[in-house]
Amino acid sequence: MKKLLIASLLLAPYIPAYAENAPIAGSVQTRCLITTDTNGVFGNPLPSKLSTASADGGVLPVIRYDVTLANAYLAKVTTPTSFDSSPSLVDSVAWTGSTAVTNTSDAGMSGYEAAKVTYGYTTQFDLTIAGSTWFSSTVAAVYGGTKSFPGGSYTAIVLAECIAK
Amino acid sequence: MKKLIVVVLLALTATSAHSEYLYGISGNMAGTGHTWGMNIGPSNTRGLRINGVYYQYTPVKNTEDDMLVHVRNKRVGGGYIFSSTDDWSGLPGGISITKGFNIDNLPIELWGDGSIDIEGTGSVVDANVIYSYKYNDDCLTPMSDPSCPGYTEAVLSMMNNTTIEAYDPMSDENISDVMDEKVDPEDEPDQEEDEGKDKLEKILSSVDESILSANVVSQNLLMFAMSHSSNIDPYYDKKLAGGVYKETVVLDGGNLPDNKKGARAGLAQQILHTKMVSMQYDPKE
Repeated sequence: MKKLLIASLLLAPYIPAYAENAPIAGSVQTRCLITTDTNGVFGNPLPSKLSTASADGGVLPVIRYDVTLANAYLAKVTTPTSFDSSPSLVDSVAWTGSTAVTNTSDAGMSGYEAAKVTYGYTTQFDLTIAGSTWFSSTVAAVYGGTKSFPGGSYTAIVLAECIAK
Repeated sequence: MKKLIVVVLLALTATSAHSEYLYGISGNMAGTGHTWGMNIGPSNTRGLRINGVYYQYTPVKNTEDDMLVHVRNKRVGGGYIFSSTDDWSGLPGGISITKGFNIDNLPIELWGDGSIDIEGTGSVVDANVIYSYKYNDDCLTPMSDPSCPGYTEAVLSMMNNTTIEAYDPMSDENISDVMDEKVDPEDEPDQEEDEGKDKLEKILSSVDESILSANVVSQNLLMFAMSHSSNIDPYYDKKLAGGVYKETVVLDGGNLPDNKKGARAGLAQQILHTKMVSMQYDPKE
């Protein structure tokens, strides 16, 4: 009887087991948050020009990046090259744009401005310090040389991205 | 176990009796200079506590210059209760900095003068320093609690405004008239006895009138004191329970069916009534 019991115990591991899938769940919390602090407004200093510069009667759009992890993200801000909505335009529009650091939550972030990289209409900042950084974009659109913009509502969009390094 | 529950319930009741806090923020304390006093919050508040400091400024400097900017408050008794330093050495100026700090509800009594101090070469423009605070609103009216600041002054002030005129019987015209009249019954004992009797009655009536007048005045004073007490005492004792009184009545929706039984009873009564009214027209047998 004792031998039989041992034999049974030895055989037990060879009983075939059913396959089982163990799921792995996880979530990644974002450590880079982009917020529009101020919506931009086009000023119309000349009939053929729209500009967000305060000298032209406009309001600069302000975008805030909140980063909780230092040296992990790049901030990319791209100024517009076309209107998102506008009256029908029959001529070309010449666009200019630039983005600058206007406010920081840490003194060390003031170095971002000098270290920024600009290509095309995109400006890239290396967010090496955790905290908040405010960027503002100056955008100007000039219509067909000196033609007057037709009356109506014009909107354009600044694209802000947070790219993991 | 039962005792423990009772004690816990009593403790909870006591906790709920605490007054609620009000919250606020100061104006820009650095608006007129780089040093400021901590005169913030409504006057006569008790238990004002600082729970946040926020500041913003723009440094003006050359990149190669060394500059430290200290935003801080002295602690009453020595040292600093709040201090934040930004090191701008080797960094460009012209870009503003914004910082916010949560403070662990430190009493205003501990907060000394605030300042923005600069070490090195450079300056600061567009400075903005704001404090957020909370306070107990029990002492918005100083007389609401004897422990409130300004309580004694308020009570004394109120008492000074109340003029209580003491009644001086010696200055009463009626009494002085009576006292001036000297009645000597031996002077003319036999003359005009009736006239003397009238005079005595007149004198006594004058005295009565004076006493009555004095009583009225003293009663008025007493009534004034009583009403004063009844007006002021509830002012001291009144405690308003805080919290939210939620709606407890729940109305179930649905259809309310007609009461057929009631309708039948009403109809039967109407029929009976009609019959009774019609009976008066029935021919008499």
